[in-house]
Amino acid sequence: MLEQLLLILPMAITVIGAFFLMLLSWNKRFTLKDYNLVAVFFLMLSFIVEFPQLSNTEIIYIFPEVFGTMYIIDNFSTLFDLMFTAGAILTLLINTDYFKSRNYFNGEYFALVLFSVFGMMTLAHSNELVTAFIALEIASLSVYALAGYHKNNRLSTEAMLKYMILGSMTGAFFILGTALIYGAVGSTTLGDIALFIKSASDSESLLVITGGTFILVTILFKIGAVPFHSWVVDVYHGAPFPVTMFMASTFKIALFAIALRLYLVDFAPINVIWSELLQVITVLTLIGGSWLAISQDNLKRMLAGSSIVHSGYMLIAISSIGLGSQEAAPAIMFYLMSYFLSSVGAFGILSFIASRSNKALTFKDFKGFSQRRPYLAAMMAIFMLSLSGFPSTIGFLGKFYIFTSAIESGQILLAGLGILTAFISVYYYFKLIAMMYFYPTDEPQKKFPMDLSGVLIGLMAVLVIWGGIGTGLIPFIPGADGFIDIAKQAVLSLQ
Amino acid sequence: MSTLLIWIVLIPFLSAALMGLVYLTGLRSNHLFYTITGILAPLLSGLFSLFIGWELLGSSADVVLHVEAFQWIALGDFDIAVAFMADRLTAVMLFFITFIGTLIHIYAAGYMSDDEAYGKFFSFFNLFMGSMLLLVLADNPIIMFVGWELVGLSSYLLIGFYHQDAKNIKAANKAFMLNRVGDFGFIIALSVLFIALEGDAFTFESIKANIGFLDNSLIALVGMLLFVGAMGKSAQIPLYVWLPDAMAGPTPVSALIHAATMVTAGVYMVARFSFLYNEVPEVGEFIALIGAFSALFAALIASYQSDIKKILAYSTMSQLGYMFIAVGLGAYSSGIFHVFTHAFFKALLFMGAGAVIVALHHEQNIFKMGGLRKHLGLVYVTMFIATLAISGIPPFSGFFSKDAILAAAFASGNYGIWMMATLTAMLTAYYMFRMLFIVFFANGHEYSNIPVLSRMMTWPLVVLAVGSAFAGLLGVNEAYGGSNGFASFIALPDRSHQLSHLAEYMLGFLNVLMALIGTGLAYKMFAVSAKEPIGDTFWKSLVMHKFYIDELYDRLIVRTLRMLSVMSDKVIDNKGVDGILHLFVSGYKTAGLLFTRLQNGKVRYYALYILAGIAVMSLLMLDTMEAM
Repeated sequence: MLEQLLLILPMAITVIGAFFLMLLSWNKRFTLKDYNLVAVFFLMLSFIVEFPQLSNTEIIYIFPEVFGTMYIIDNFSTLFDLMFTAGAILTLLINTDYFKSRNYFNGEYFALVLFSVFGMMTLAHSNELVTAFIALEIASLSVYALAGYHKNNRLSTEAMLKYMILGSMTGAFFILGTALIYGAVGSTTLGDIALFIKSASDSESLLVITGGTFILVTILFKIGAVPFHSWVVDVYHGAPFPVTMFMASTFKIALFAIALRLYLVDFAPINVIWSELLQVITVLTLIGGSWLAISQDNLKRMLAGSSIVHSGYMLIAISSIGLGSQEAAPAIMFYLMSYFLSSVGAFGILSFIASRSNKALTFKDFKGFSQRRPYLAAMMAIFMLSLSGFPSTIGFLGKFYIFTSAIESGQILLAGLGILTAFISVYYYFKLIAMMYFYPTDEPQKKFPMDLSGVLIGLMAVLVIWGGIGTGLIPFIPGADGFIDIAKQAVLSLQ
Repeated sequence: MSTLLIWIVLIPFLSAALMGLVYLTGLRSNHLFYTITGILAPLLSGLFSLFIGWELLGSSADVVLHVEAFQWIALGDFDIAVAFMADRLTAVMLFFITFIGTLIHIYAAGYMSDDEAYGKFFSFFNLFMGSMLLLVLADNPIIMFVGWELVGLSSYLLIGFYHQDAKNIKAANKAFMLNRVGDFGFIIALSVLFIALEGDAFTFESIKANIGFLDNSLIALVGMLLFVGAMGKSAQIPLYVWLPDAMAGPTPVSALIHAATMVTAGVYMVARFSFLYNEVPEVGEFIALIGAFSALFAALIASYQSDIKKILAYSTMSQLGYMFIAVGLGAYSSGIFHVFTHAFFKALLFMGAGAVIVALHHEQNIFKMGGLRKHLGLVYVTMFIATLAISGIPPFSGFFSKDAILAAAFASGNYGIWMMATLTAMLTAYYMFRMLFIVFFANGHEYSNIPVLSRMMTWPLVVLAVGSAFAGLLGVNEAYGGSNGFASFIALPDRSHQLSHLAEYMLGFLNVLMALIGTGLAYKMFAVSAKEPIGDTFWKSLVMHKFYIDELYDRLIVRTLRMLSVMSDKVIDNKGVDGILHLFVSGYKTAGLLFTRLQNGKVRYYALYILAGIAVMSLLMLDTMEAM
């Protein structure tokens, strides 16, 4: 009993923290800084309590007498939990300045962040479709609210509305899919579904396949695959910076937790059916995303468009899973990690600048940035290099693993297209570098901000480089290969 | 015992790093620290090498010491360890590299004592030593290649040591680039070998064990490509042009490059791969032919040079030619023997020349010297011994090693090569004694304030003079009453050809005769008075301009490459590639703009896209399900 409680303590801490923050915001005495500290404290606590579980290799079901096998704790979910909490902590800390500069933030904001983290954690742990749906909705509803947090801003409100309408519409497909699967299997637990698929004949599993396709729609929508992508650019643009950052990095990861669990294990025998469909969507996503990205002037919109392309890369790996690649699942996790580091860094710098001015940031605003802020410009360049997959950054290794998995599963053309769009992405990422370095400026040089956000962004830049070259070059110090090993171990715990 | 091997390599690197760091922190004037740290490194490595040599001397000929420092790369079956080995060939190389290296270090401490960048010099110097030792001790060709490259790098650093003068930088660049050409051959050879052997346990021993399974033409290809690498490092035709220019470095550097390290690397490598070259003797014959041409060619040029260091540089190239004749014809032990004796007298010659240059305040033209015998007595005596040795006058060391090579060439039936080599022997005596007579005998010049040379500079000369005189006695063959000790110690797989003692006597006599003719000619022409040669005839000016080879390379290769790159920049890249690219880019951008139009901000359209997507997906799934 106590042991079980200990295992769910990280989730409990997060949700308790959320409630605590709500109570706290009832009192007007506290400042934003206090709320931020409390939120980070709870997330830290959750992270620290969870971290030792990474060495746990067993599969444990929580309170099996009550919940059966709905709620699972394994290495895979632990790793995802850690990424969520770490992502939320970084988002909160890096944006300290931004919160101060905008007057519409208050205590509930932090409560909502914690609620959505709780939802994502539950999503990673759910071993049953209805639980997964509830978890997904907890996370999504919090993010909808977050996206519209700037109440008086037309764009922000519009973003929330669009996101909510479209999100609810596609969310319905998840529940429809679940219902269909229940109709065929008679249960919504993942283990039962897997058992059914293994024993069922082709015609018997038709309903399951239909259900699976509908669930896929929701997942594709949330990660912004074409043609379910149209909300991405508007919502990313309209939402406040900290929220965009949170959505692009952390929330995106969450979707893969359930997607991998479903398609890697339970749908494994019938995965092949979707591979053709996924390939078509991947092609559309890669090309459509890069079309969107190259035609944007606003940096937030550009990053939004490019995040669609990054989803496309991960879709390559998902269809590789269906075609039997062993490397694909760890490759996705590594890619998530690398994308997380680089995009949080890039958004972090944008929000850092945005916190000091009220302009919408376009490419032109970065002219001569390297002379005004040489260190920030260098870091931005590192993040851009990593996002475009330049060698010796972590982004390169991420793409490398993805393409390897694609080639391993025989999708040479898809890998080729991926490489081609990576070349195209150089255009819009390097455009920023060129703006920063190749144009003069009259403004004087400013000092490097030695505060928390500055240091954290610097740390992420170092990690991006370290993750890209840290392997084998320096003996006895682990690098990127350490993470890919953890990812492999986590994926193994699924099977 | 074998762990000593690691230390032999590590100590010079450590000392280089230590001195480099101290130098960078700004403590530049502390010469005593640099002297001690700098000299101690080759000395310790030398002592350890002696232990290794002693150990190998006491055991049977096929004992090989191995030690693995650490695993470097492990990717699946591809597995490269930083490992060292020492057999008897290694022991010989180790001995003379560290012994002569130490002497050159001591000499350099005197030669460079006024230089501001003293610490930097010794740091580079030990880097050079360490790289060469790494090359020699490597257990697999990959590590050998690392050493090989590091030798190229450190020679670049040292040749361009006086970097204030743009000419020196040019010389350093030339050396580095020509070496890169050779290295390219080397790395391709290793790659081909690696692929052919399917990569498992890529060490010298396993290559040797598996070489029999390979196709002969493949071995020949590998052998040729490896020799391209050797051409670069050991300055053979056509990749020799860097060697004379490399004289731009300080004289101790020249001594180190020409005697103990670098140029011997190519010969060593061929000997190390002797098992491979024994499979393809025709490649060996080609090597010998290149060696013979290089020997003769360099000797001709040397006969008309007037810069003391350039004469020595060309003589090195010429002597290296001899070594390649030997290893090419399968007389590996004779080749290495010549490397060994040559190290002594060539180091001595360079250091003596350096002493003369210092004494005359950096004058290098021999025709501005003369009569120095009276002023620099010790230098004169030691250089005289070295000249006798290189000219092959018995019983000095050069006679025995050169004689062995000429005998091997004769015995193998390659009479053309033999004749070229014999002619070169005469020329060698001629140009060496020419230099000696002009510098130390010929009348002429008044000298003011010749400085007293420090003992750091003169004592190493004496030690080397003893070596130059007697090192040859280690390898006296049966014909001269010896026991062929060197060859039987080093135990390389020679392709031997028997020669009767009478024939050997005849050949030996002929060699001495040729050397005496050369000496006599030089004496007659230069001992009393000397005039600088003028290129008045076609032949003379051709030789004096070094056959216009540098200019030829410039025209043929450098300018052609430049033209090509200018063309590819202006035409192919700007017009062709960029043009096509711009076409694609603008097309893609237009497509992007059209696609963005769909992004019209209206949520009902977005919902439409989603539903349309789902509809198409459903159709696709229906199709798939129907097929089931």
